[in-house]
This record gives sequence, structure tokens and C-alpha cells, in this order.
Amino acid sequence: MKTPHKNWLEWTVFGVGAVLVVATLGFLAFDAATLGSAPPGIEARLGRPQRLKKGYAVPVTVVNHGDATAEGVAIEVTLQRRGRATQSGEFEVAFLPRQSKREGWVVFDADPQAGRLEARVKGFEAP
Amino acid sequence: MLLQMAFAECPPPNAANCRAVGCVSRQRSLHLPHLDMNSAALSATPAGSHSTSASDNSVHKSLREYARGVAGGLIFSLPLLFTMEMWWAGFILSPERLLGCVAGTFVLLLGYNRFAGLHEDASWAEVAIDSVEEMGLGLLLSTAILWLLGRIEFGMAASEIVSKIVIEAMTVAIGVSVGTAQLGGASDEANEAADESQSEKEAGFGGQVVIAGCGAILFAANVAPTEEIIMLGIELSPGRLLGIALFSLLLGAVVLYCSDFRGAQRLSPARGPLSIVSGIVVTYAVALLSAAAILWFFGRFDGMHISKIVAQTVVLGLPATLGASAGRLLLQRQ
Repeated sequence: MKTPHKNWLEWTVFGVGAVLVVATLGFLAFDAATLGSAPPGIEARLGRPQRLKKGYAVPVTVVNHGDATAEGVAIEVTLQRRGRATQSGEFEVAFLPRQSKREGWVVFDADPQAGRLEARVKGFEAP
Repeated sequence: MLLQMAFAECPPPNAANCRAVGCVSRQRSLHLPHLDMNSAALSATPAGSHSTSASDNSVHKSLREYARGVAGGLIFSLPLLFTMEMWWAGFILSPERLLGCVAGTFVLLLGYNRFAGLHEDASWAEVAIDSVEEMGLGLLLSTAILWLLGRIEFGMAASEIVSKIVIEAMTVAIGVSVGTAQLGGASDEANEAADESQSEKEAGFGGQVVIAGCGAILFAANVAPTEEIIMLGIELSPGRLLGIALFSLLLGAVVLYCSDFRGAQRLSPARGPLSIVSGIVVTYAVALLSAAAILWFFGRFDGMHISKIVAQTVVLGLPATLGASAGRLLLQRQ
């Protein structure tokens, strides 16, 4: 087989390309081999409430610990005062990939620190 | 453009000498530093002092090829880099499917570079090297664009980042390949090559099928990941679907045999009714297969009834037919 004649630039591009392609294939193969079959496991974590001009906003971090992507994840946060739900806020995460997190906010009229906040994952779709 | 300007600067060679190798090649080595090493060495005699710059020339030429590749890669794949369904596919699809996509793209690149690529007489080793280069460029380009678009960030899970890059990089890579081969100006190198290899360059039946598949995938991939295909596949009545299939066949026939499309003459020299029919049928079959492959890849067949699988394939078969017929003729080196 004759050796292809190429200049240093072409060999460099080939070298970089080969490394990238091999690394990509390696990563995908590793990912495929280690990927479990756990369904989406979704957790909503609440952050510190922040005062807005009108009302209070609470940051929510939604985390998927599972091995599958969840679509349309509905999150509801309720503000409990004296054992009663006084107000609730909700939002939807369009896509939550496996082992990933997304951020959202819920807004309340009253100061959430006066009561107790409860976050709940209402449901999601398998894409 | 550059090439034409360079020519315009040359004093018009007198008609008698213009064809002489010495005159033409000297002009080239003075003004057009994009010869490959071999022809530079051959033409070195009249302009000996320029022979030392042969390797510079070849680097220049490679740079231009890469620049064309980058432009081509973006021309063909930018619509997909700006398509949300593609980003979603990045985290919805399983790593196995992405591996399959990389393998399939590599086969397409090999085929395209072999039968329609820039280097006419390339050996399989060179074809493989070119294909790896194009894939590397595709990965780099799609990383850059996705980052600029804010689709990949440092905090994301590695699998999400890699999957998004890989899925976009595959169309970019095909675009790079096509761009490198197609976007070159009417360079003298191409003209030379056309003269020499007119006969040997006629890709046989297998080659035609490969290039038709490339064209079909390049065209169909732009709409395949969108929700519209699945919506059409579900909503359209069987009668309309039949209409789409017939229209696709008609489209293929018009492009291949009736429109005097660039390159059509060369591809279908035998004009018996039987060869026309078989040409159209093969083109449509390649289009349908390519459409089905892309749809399967995007998970559009998962959990679908067979009638909806066929419906989606027929819907996507229309753009795929355009790619397999018109695209095929455009993708050939003229």
C-alpha cells in the first residue's frame, strides 16, 4: 500500500480529528456500558427566598438522579402556614436529562419564611 | 473569485503558447499557490526558483480546502444547529444509538469521499484519512457553535454535552465533506482532473447509490428531527400519502430525465424505457431507506403502529427523493 502524501498541516488535522473521534467513540461506549436502567428519579431542592418589588421568589433546583430523561416535569411548591396550605406556585421543566439539573423559580405574595415550604414533583412524561 | 482575479492580473497569454504546459504552469506557480506537490515538481523547470515553495503551496492549498470545508459544513448543517429537536435528541437518545449514528455517518463519508470526493484517485487509506479529518472538523465546529448558542455549558452532565455535540457534528461532517469537494472555484486543478478522469470517474451503480444516499440524508436530515414529520405521518389520510408517494416518483423522474439538470446526461446515458423506470425506482428506494433510517435514529418509530411508520417514511421520502435525485446530481464533481 502506498503511503498517502500529505503535508504537516493535513497530518495535524488528521491527528486532532483521530483523537477527537476516538475520544468520542470511547466516551459513548463507556456511557453505554455504564448506563443503568433506573427510571427518572426527580428531586426538587428549595433555595433561599428573595424579596422582589412585590412578593417573594424562591429558587428551585430540579435534579434527575435517574438514567432516563424526563419531559414536561411539573413542579409544585406550597406554602404552609399553621398547618394549612395558603398559596402554591408551580412551573414546568421542558426537559430534564439524566444526571442533570435545571433551575426554576416560584413566587409567593407572603414571606415564605413565616411558614413552611413544601416542594412536590407532580409528574412527567417519558419522551 | 480569487482565482479569477489572479488570472485577470496575468497578461493574456498569446493563443499559441497558452496551451503549452510551461506557460500555464508557470503562471500557476506564480499566482495560484495551490498545486499539489506532484504537479508543482513537474512544472518547476520553467520557474526553478519557485520549486522550494512547493510545500508552502501545498499547505496553502490544504488551508483553502479546510476553509471550504468549514464553510460547507456550516452551510449544510446550520439549520440543524438551530433546531431545538436536535438539542433534545442529544439527551433523549441512548448512547448506543449515537454510536450507530457515528458509524453510519462514517460509512457515508467513506462512500462520498470515495465516489465524489476531492481527490479523484484516492486510495481507501486516503479516503479513510479524509473522513476522519472531516469528522474531527465536524466535532470541533459543532462544539464551537453549540457553545456560542449557549446549548452547552460547563455545569452540564458530560453525557448531555457529548451527545449534543455528536448528533450535530455528524451533519456538519457530511457538510464539510461536500463543501470541500463542491465549493471550490472552477480551479484549473478540477478542470485538469475532469479532462483526465472523465472516464474513470464515472461512478458505477454502487457509487451512484452511495451518492444518492448521501444526497437523500443531507436533504432529509434537515426536516427529519422536527415534530412536523410525526404530525403529518399521524394526520394524513392514506389517499394523500399515496399522492405524496406518486409525487415523489414524478419528482425523481423529472429531475433525472426530463429537466436537463446539470449532470443528468452523464448519469443516464442509456435511455431505454426500462432503464428510466429502474433508475427512478432505485432512486426512490434509496430515498425511502434513507428516510426510514433517519426516522428510526431519531426514535420516531418507537412504539408506533406499522401504518404510522410507513406514513412517516413516505412523508420524509419526499425531501429524501429530492436529495437522492437533484442532490445526487449536484453532489457529483463535474
